[in-house]
Amino acid sequence: MPDPEKRFAEEWRNAAYNCFSSGHKFCREVCPVMQVTRNESWSPTAFHANVVAMEKGELEVADVAADYVNCTGCGACELRCPNSLFTGDFYRFRTRTVDLVKAVRGLAVSQGVHQPGWQRWNLLTDERRHEPVLNGTPIEQERVRDWADGLDLPIGGETILFVDCEAAFYRTSVPRAVARILNLAGYKFGLMNEQWCCGGPAAEMGYEEQARRFAQHNLDDWRAAGVRRVLVLDPHDYITFTEDYPKYFGDAYDIEIVLVVELLAELIREGRLTPHVPVERTVTYHDPCRLSKRKGVWREPREILRAIPGVTFHDVDRVTQWSYCSGGGGGLPVEKPELTAKISEHRVGKAAELGVDTLVSACPWSERPLSEAGKARSIDVVDLHELLAESLGVAP
Amino acid sequence: MKYRYQEEMSPPPVQRVTDVAITRFEHVFEVEPGLMTEHVTQQTFPNWDTLRLVRSRADHLAWMHRHFADKVISGEELLDDLDE
Repeated sequence: MPDPEKRFAEEWRNAAYNCFSSGHKFCREVCPVMQVTRNESWSPTAFHANVVAMEKGELEVADVAADYVNCTGCGACELRCPNSLFTGDFYRFRTRTVDLVKAVRGLAVSQGVHQPGWQRWNLLTDERRHEPVLNGTPIEQERVRDWADGLDLPIGGETILFVDCEAAFYRTSVPRAVARILNLAGYKFGLMNEQWCCGGPAAEMGYEEQARRFAQHNLDDWRAAGVRRVLVLDPHDYITFTEDYPKYFGDAYDIEIVLVVELLAELIREGRLTPHVPVERTVTYHDPCRLSKRKGVWREPREILRAIPGVTFHDVDRVTQWSYCSGGGGGLPVEKPELTAKISEHRVGKAAELGVDTLVSACPWSERPLSEAGKARSIDVVDLHELLAESLGVAP
Repeated sequence: MKYRYQEEMSPPPVQRVTDVAITRFEHVFEVEPGLMTEHVTQQTFPNWDTLRLVRSRADHLAWMHRHFADKVISGEELLDDLDE
């Protein structure tokens, strides 16, 4: 076994041996990949068992690297694992399948084992500083703020809005809605001087050196501009800024990170925003995995939805939704779009059972696959920020 | 939830409950860290993660009750079942 694999197995053996769930249905049945494939090699248990086999010299990372593609990083398995949910806080030890999957992917890349889609995606990201989200149309650094044309937003300042690649180049109506809402509330913010991709997707796909380099650029840019606070509308960015960046920078990480959906709920509570234009839709809400499962943020989006007049809201509780996912995370749509499509079809099917006409999400990355799946069932997929903007009477 | 690294990495002061248990957050008990150094070593837990687990557990138990606890069985009935 090569040295890096040996070191890897030593680092993860404790976690692997503490995964005793073989045959248990807790993690498997909430896993979005498992639900649509029933492939045991792609289960959270298998991901841990491989480490044991690696430690015993029975396999090398090249043998199993492709299996680890099959994870959206939704976090359902590790939250639902009894080691997390029932004893994690007691022992200060919880299951970390998402981290394990990232680590195996990183190990594979460091050993020269690449997945072709991810390799190309990250090469293009490295060249253009942003993810290639426009289906072949090259991304240009100088267009990263185009979404804000005509909004007259300043550059820099103590508080800036960070807009993820998908929203900055593809779902541009989402950041526009956020900016207009914040302006309406009189909340002061600017845009970043030279924004690069947050680096989170590279880290998720195993390109850790690239991820760190992008993170360092963004942090340096914030510091140079005197930024103290970063507003984040995308749950994936929120994970990167509150889990990856702290690991990279440790005590030197002195930037406050604020989730926009929480800020908007607060502004509504304080009376600084009052939705008043009726929105006649029958909706259900999709809990984005990185908000609800991985961060425990589920109340505020519902608060916002319930504040919008005209909306008929068929809620599905957050625990039921632990087993729901759009399939849009963890690089899965890049490498296996057909699997993402199956997962989002499954999710939209759950919405269809409620008889709704609209599925509301709060995650730009979920909205593309969910929209595709929604077409077949005549269900609109709408972003929560945009829905709120509509009810506040602010144009896109 | 505003995230600030220093705040998240600074848990409230420890209060000893017994020789083998401590508490940092109200009603949240932890094994004495000194006992967790050999077989299962403790991980770094930012405050938000501890609270996320505690709240998720409460949500999950409430969900279990809503879905599966549709009647209350008395102790007497349980004992009768055992006798049978």
